[in-house]
Amino acid sequence: MKLPPHISLPEKKRVAGPERSPVYAMVGNPNCGKTTLFNALTGLRQKVGNYPGVTIEKKIGEAYSQHGRPMKVIDLPGAYSLAARSPDEAVLRDVLLGRRADTPQPDRIICVVDSSNLERNLYLVHQILDLGRPVIVVLNMMDVATTAGHLIDPKKLEESLGVTVIPCEAVHHKGLVELRLAMSRADLPLARHRWDVPAPIAPAVADLQASLVQYDTRSPLVARAEALLLLTDFDSVRVAGSTPLSSRTIEILASWRKRWEGEGTDWSATLIRSRYEAINRLCADVIRRTREQGPSVSDRIDAVLVHSIFGWLFFGAVMAALFFSIFTLAEYPKNWIDDHMTALGGWVQGSMAVGDLRDLLTHGVIDGVKGIVVFLPQILILFFFVGLLESTGYMARAAFLMDRPMSKVGLHGKSFIPLLGSYACAIPGIMATRTIENAKDRLVTILVAPLMSCSARLPVYLLMIATLLPSTTVATTTKVGLMLLMYAIGTLGAFGFAWLFKRTLFKSAPPLMIMELPPYQRPRLPEITRQMIERAWLFLKNAGTIILGISILLWFFSTYPKHPDPSATPDAQIAYSLAGRAGKILEPVIKPLGFDWRIGVGLVTSFYAREVFVSSMAVIFGVESKDDNTAAIRDALRSAKWPDGAVLFTPLVCFTLMVYYVFAMQCMSTVAVVKRETNSWRWPLFQIAYMTGTAWVVCFVIYQTGRALGF
Amino acid sequence: MSRPPFNARMPLCQLAAGATARICEITGDESFVQRLREMGFGEAALVTKISGSKTSLCHVNGTRLALNHDAAMSVLVELLPLGAR
Repeated sequence: MKLPPHISLPEKKRVAGPERSPVYAMVGNPNCGKTTLFNALTGLRQKVGNYPGVTIEKKIGEAYSQHGRPMKVIDLPGAYSLAARSPDEAVLRDVLLGRRADTPQPDRIICVVDSSNLERNLYLVHQILDLGRPVIVVLNMMDVATTAGHLIDPKKLEESLGVTVIPCEAVHHKGLVELRLAMSRADLPLARHRWDVPAPIAPAVADLQASLVQYDTRSPLVARAEALLLLTDFDSVRVAGSTPLSSRTIEILASWRKRWEGEGTDWSATLIRSRYEAINRLCADVIRRTREQGPSVSDRIDAVLVHSIFGWLFFGAVMAALFFSIFTLAEYPKNWIDDHMTALGGWVQGSMAVGDLRDLLTHGVIDGVKGIVVFLPQILILFFFVGLLESTGYMARAAFLMDRPMSKVGLHGKSFIPLLGSYACAIPGIMATRTIENAKDRLVTILVAPLMSCSARLPVYLLMIATLLPSTTVATTTKVGLMLLMYAIGTLGAFGFAWLFKRTLFKSAPPLMIMELPPYQRPRLPEITRQMIERAWLFLKNAGTIILGISILLWFFSTYPKHPDPSATPDAQIAYSLAGRAGKILEPVIKPLGFDWRIGVGLVTSFYAREVFVSSMAVIFGVESKDDNTAAIRDALRSAKWPDGAVLFTPLVCFTLMVYYVFAMQCMSTVAVVKRETNSWRWPLFQIAYMTGTAWVVCFVIYQTGRALGF
Repeated sequence: MSRPPFNARMPLCQLAAGATARICEITGDESFVQRLREMGFGEAALVTKISGSKTSLCHVNGTRLALNHDAAMSVLVELLPLGAR
């Protein structure tokens, strides 16, 4: 049925007309307080997703104008320049230039600027003004600038740039009302600031601009800005999901490049210099320095924390505190969860009739999920530490200190941050490699990151240590020592393979690093907590869905088909089941490592995630969940025998198994992330092959040597 | 101002801690050089070395920047006499 025009027309107008709520993009240098401002502006109304093809977080939030109208705000990754050198910066550039089909090109841009470092921050602003969109410049951290002796005149800056300038202290929620007011304005001014393109470059800019307008459907102003960019970075960093340039534009670009190379003109230096000259003139006008710049508080702290002796002592203390917290503090909440889940299992066991359904619930569902949820506290502690190190600014100092040891294996300090994060979980670790500009260095870091012992290995280590060492006679220090040994083996492995890869597969010039050390800041607990909750939720969602599913499947495979003799021992039943048969097929491969088919079943199921090994062992060895779970599994494992009556879990086998988990690639989520990050199946497959291959070889050597020595 | 008595060029990594120098020339990998300049580490900028021999920690334009050894090797600086800043 056709609607009468007086109903349909206003509806159309509302969507397409000037009434449509504007989309804002928030951009700024790293460490300018952009995320704090974004959170303050949008509160909890955020949607976190991914840019398809790249594992870069896409955060879209909703803010309300002074009149209560919703406005979309896209939080773009931090960047120093639109001339992208890393995937993060490439996403920023592509969204602003409208090169991504998956993200709307923003109507207006909020440039967040660290006021205490105005010149450097204005470089990006300067590039963004070229885009000709309405821009709001937010002078964040005004308090820090004033303390440092820089008095900035926002009015003067506003006059010179011709755009709205808002002084702000996002941490103290100052200036937010003014920002909202500016965002609500319908008549936000366009940049009046005109910057003359240096004469030698002008013809090339005009040429490319014309081509971009004609062949790449850009608007003239965006085309001019993009032409300037293309002449500095030659489109060197491209990420998945970005629309490629037309062949005509590429041709023109190549011909100009060739011409300049012949003449020996350094066009990119000329462009950057002329921008900085314009910025310096501007700053001379806008900033009044009240005193000569002396060493700041951060400088004084740095004198100790990056000192060649005290710096390392402090770094060691931080690392020690991190591991101490994971191993000891986490015990209390862990036991609490364990007790309650066990009680639940006991209650179900007691209140249901004997049968398959009861078995499924107790052995499949509750035991399986419990094995995972108990180590939520450790994950939370790790993320708390990583968040703390990042938000105080210490993480960059740790990277600075680690630069020297990292250079021995051919990487630089920035690679240390992903590796440290990988102690918590390889996934955020691998995502943190985005700040490494060199593609080869980034790939090497991604390849070795999963060797750092992540928190998912903890339950396996803990179970094996419990099986290996009797709890009463062996001191706790020995157990902690054994655990640290595993961490050390993994870390050495990561460094060793990085060294090997940098000398073979990824031969390249020594890496070059420039890294900003942000001023020290008070840790922002709400942000850390928020991140911890996000991570915990992701983890629990996993435990509640996929791991639950695997536990049920595993229970099914180890229960069916039923042994023809109903009075068969649980051992015989497992051997007869599908899981047992699969394990037996695998046995010849893993027997040289001292593993039998039941361990084989655990290895296969824990390919999804390492922690599944523990729940698998619980299911396979038919542990009744009456008392303390780890102890129950431990006792079951200790009494497990080979068919000839020999003990299965000898100390040597326990040790070998731990080492197996140090090296083997047993994590589907990591495989998926590496696939997305590297945009091909080649690297995740290579990673599985080299890691699991190494695990087998190392375990073979350990087990056979151990046997020969009589262990 | 008369020329400083000692204006030999040296790589940034050899600059003593606490000394201030002017950046004369940046060589090496094209895109890395570009990023250095974009971060304010360009020719004619004044740089104060804070610490470090292998990895250099510097102050440029109000920012603390860390450069690894190879990066610091590619930046040639000219020492300024004390108090010239």
